[in-house]
Amino acid sequence: MDSLHKSSKIVVLVLCGFLVGGLSTYGIAYSAEEKPAEIKSTQPVTDCFESRIGYSSVTGVESVDSKYGYPNVKCSQTTGAVLWWGDPFYGTIPMGEMPEITDDTRGDFANAVVKPREPQLQYFNMGPNGCKTCHDGKMVPFPKGNKPRLIGMHQDIVENSLKLMHGHGALWCLNCHSATNRNRLVDRQGTEFSFNQPQKLCGSCHGENYIDWRKGVHGKRIGSWATGGKKRWWVCTECHNPHTVQATRFNRLKPEPPPALPRGMKNANYERVGDGEH
Amino acid sequence: MSKEKIKESNEADDLQQGRREFLKNVCASSVAALVAAPASAEAAVDPANPDADVTVAEFFQGHFILMSDEEKKQAIARLEKRYSAQYGKKTTVSDVPAPEGVLFGYALDISKCIGCRRCVHACVKENNQSRHDPEVQWIQVMKMPKGNISFTTEQLDKGYPEQSEFGDYGVQVGGNAYKTAGFSTEDAQNYYNDDLVPDKDFFYVPVQCQQCEKPPCVKACPVRATFRDHAGVVLIDYNWCIGCRMCQLACPYHARRFNWGEPNLPAEEMNPKTHYFGNRPRMRGVMEKCTFCVQRTREGRNPACLEACPVGARKFGNLLDPESDVRRVLATKRVFRFKEEYGTYPKFFYYIG
Amino acid sequence: MNTALSFAMDFGSYAIKGGRMYYAWLLFLAFFILVGSYTAYIQFTQGLIVTGATDQVTLEAFFANFVFTAHVAAAAVLVVAPGYFYHRKDMKELAVMGEIVAMVFVATGITFVLFHMGRPDRTWHIIPGIGFMNFPNSMLAYDTIVLNVYLLLNLIGVSYILFKKYVGTFHEKQLAIWFRPIVFLAIAWGPLIHIVTAFVLASNARVGMWATAVLPFAFLTMAGASGPALVVLIFLLARKYTRLEIGDPVIDLMTTIIAWSLGILMLVFAAEFFTLLYPSTEHADSLKYNMFGHNGLNMYVPWFWGTIGALVASFVALLFRKVRHSYDRLLPMVCFVVFFAILIEKPMILVFPAFSPTPLGEYAEYHVTLIEFFNVLFVWALGFLFLTLILKGAIGILTGEVSHEKASASS
Repeated sequence: MDSLHKSSKIVVLVLCGFLVGGLSTYGIAYSAEEKPAEIKSTQPVTDCFESRIGYSSVTGVESVDSKYGYPNVKCSQTTGAVLWWGDPFYGTIPMGEMPEITDDTRGDFANAVVKPREPQLQYFNMGPNGCKTCHDGKMVPFPKGNKPRLIGMHQDIVENSLKLMHGHGALWCLNCHSATNRNRLVDRQGTEFSFNQPQKLCGSCHGENYIDWRKGVHGKRIGSWATGGKKRWWVCTECHNPHTVQATRFNRLKPEPPPALPRGMKNANYERVGDGEH
Repeated sequence: MSKEKIKESNEADDLQQGRREFLKNVCASSVAALVAAPASAEAAVDPANPDADVTVAEFFQGHFILMSDEEKKQAIARLEKRYSAQYGKKTTVSDVPAPEGVLFGYALDISKCIGCRRCVHACVKENNQSRHDPEVQWIQVMKMPKGNISFTTEQLDKGYPEQSEFGDYGVQVGGNAYKTAGFSTEDAQNYYNDDLVPDKDFFYVPVQCQQCEKPPCVKACPVRATFRDHAGVVLIDYNWCIGCRMCQLACPYHARRFNWGEPNLPAEEMNPKTHYFGNRPRMRGVMEKCTFCVQRTREGRNPACLEACPVGARKFGNLLDPESDVRRVLATKRVFRFKEEYGTYPKFFYYIG
Repeated sequence: MNTALSFAMDFGSYAIKGGRMYYAWLLFLAFFILVGSYTAYIQFTQGLIVTGATDQVTLEAFFANFVFTAHVAAAAVLVVAPGYFYHRKDMKELAVMGEIVAMVFVATGITFVLFHMGRPDRTWHIIPGIGFMNFPNSMLAYDTIVLNVYLLLNLIGVSYILFKKYVGTFHEKQLAIWFRPIVFLAIAWGPLIHIVTAFVLASNARVGMWATAVLPFAFLTMAGASGPALVVLIFLLARKYTRLEIGDPVIDLMTTIIAWSLGILMLVFAAEFFTLLYPSTEHADSLKYNMFGHNGLNMYVPWFWGTIGALVASFVALLFRKVRHSYDRLLPMVCFVVFFAILIEKPMILVFPAFSPTPLGEYAEYHVTLIEFFNVLFVWALGFLFLTLILKGAIGILTGEVSHEKASASS
């Protein structure tokens, strides 16, 4: 009987130890878990890029929408990309006249708006007259022909003008840029287009992509999903850089952070590629 | 004709049909709820303690679809008041019904997706998910190896596989091309954290709720808290969900996320334009998932993930409208559905552009 | 009415009387109930985030234990059935013990389900009339019906038998006409709660390991092993420490049932493993993960082989007559191992590994948190506390120590 008494005492003691030890370990573990991943409260990013770095950017403006106090955009604090559109039409202008194509790809241009390209172009903004500030025929004389030659300027756009990589070297600057009116683009027929409507020029060669784009299959549109609704269209040069298409089609981007691991998992090192054996 | 057909197979309508007889029962048996509802809507809200304001009225609240218009109004007023106090800004909770003559569909171009996860975080910003502990994200991006990772010429050219100890008498012992390649979840990486994307040897597949035509989650829910609306979107009444997670078990797309704890949503990041079935702040212990941004799409706007996608890989629209982006994709591209073998008939299509 | 009151009083006062060991056992359970009340409070105020469950592995230890309690509850019919189907008199006397086990374990299982739910305060949503039950679509709706009806059937059966015996009018001719149908219905209902619980899991095509037709059979055989194992333990204790007479043939019958069930279970496992591993399609991924691990994640591997090993070893042991008849040493040990192995099998083979890989190819390990662990123990302790008290009282009535005659004689 005495031994029973003794052993029951031990059991009680062990249980108490179990309880105290267990709960305190849990307390430590739990308080460690509780700490939220503090988002660094440095200056919030308000200037951010839309689709591609350096192609078009937007500045966040608070309370554009008076009803909900929305900003026009919310930017990623880690990558500086636009994550969320409060006002999809902020800073847009009507797309302008679009040619009718007499097939089933007429395009939904009734309420189409675009973001003007001209304010986004570095050299266009050098002066009040745009590119003509320098390319006025006097300061920089109009070139006589379209023969490729080495150019000492604008190396940030095309590093070596003799190796311009559009159309596998078949094209040169003045095939697309008007020789006499640098504020405009020009096609093979000599028709001039605004920088805000590059699709008309690009479409003259890239017909298939152009038709896909008109159909809404290629490229990006935001705003209304309904046919005939107001949509902001992305034009070609908001994603594609015509000067580097064959060297680097697209610059790579920093991705947004990965999801949190499932509770209890330390890492995702099991995600090894090529280990699957069957 | 097609419109009628959709109506017939409409699960939400089934709910509505039973509504009249059902309401009789509800009204008779939960008079307490009706009495309590107007009284507590007036009750003061303590923004510091969100637990305390789960009022009696909210506790006795019925299924939203089965409520009378008056009850709906009260429920929404209650929520607006509570959210406005809790987050310190004017919050609207809409109950705009799904538009008529619309069947929502989505298409995603996996040849364009660069795996930047902007859709994931756009969704979080739009839909008021819990930011951490638990972190809730409705979209998950899989990174899958292209064939050149799985196979190299040297590896493939090793000759015959080594003989097993049983010899090679017709026993299948493998070969050099035994690794997975292409569209397979086997080698998918869900937690990739590269410096730059896209990785040239990989492609990316974002997955979210596929808005199935035969949703197994709706079938599994014991209380019909989740249902399909007549625009084809599967929704959840967060105030009716009992948190049993049978829908999460049933979903073959890992699309549903659970609020394991009280959601952590900073007031300054809260999106005040909400919908009852969409992005209104959720409570602990209920299920949530992609609703195709019901608060946007029911009012004609595109979902947030589509607007955030930098490469235009995402297309959304009305499947009943042949002019819509989705129908155009279906008509011209090579389209497939993810895990088609489950027979759930998603309205989320992947294509190779 | 007075009789009913004195029945309750006598039953209760007998149930809480016992020796030193009896009180030690009750105290032991009370300890876990005390701790568990605190951890349960934490869970119900902070949510399921205090458990190890994640979106990847969405069923926690509560659900795994619920499946196990369904096993035991269903298997209790194996005590009732021989008495009523084969008219074994010795079994018929003890049938009420089986019904008590069934009743208590169904209630324990329902408590586990409440712990599993994210919003236990909204349980009323499933009650038809005031809520909305998604019948006949949802398998959980079926399960709710089936479990509650089983609880009710056993509650009626048990209280009727005990009361009748207490009053001393439990004779064939004096029983109510509804009694026998209810007993037979309860016997049929036992396997039903099981099959439906298996279907709750098997209805999820997403989890490849469960999408198998043998799941209900695996459940039935595991029930046939774990339930009687517990019953044998209870019978052995009861006949050692109380005046209740339980003959060796009763124990032997139970042991035989365990052995047969384990034998069939081996076949079911073998069939399942073969069907998965020979074609080795993606459906086998979870099983391979369980058996061998995946790229360095091998937490479940020892549990798998340990559990399977324990089951095989107990099966082999029960083939020996010597073990089967070693009533005070080997047999209780084997029964304990069987009970415990099948309890462990639930989370570590059936539930947790089945979720990996997820539909998007993720693998996850489940780490049971301490709060979750204590909550599981809380529910078990509650269950065993009620089981002990009710069984003790029932034994008093079965042995005749508690009866209306005695009560009225003494007063």
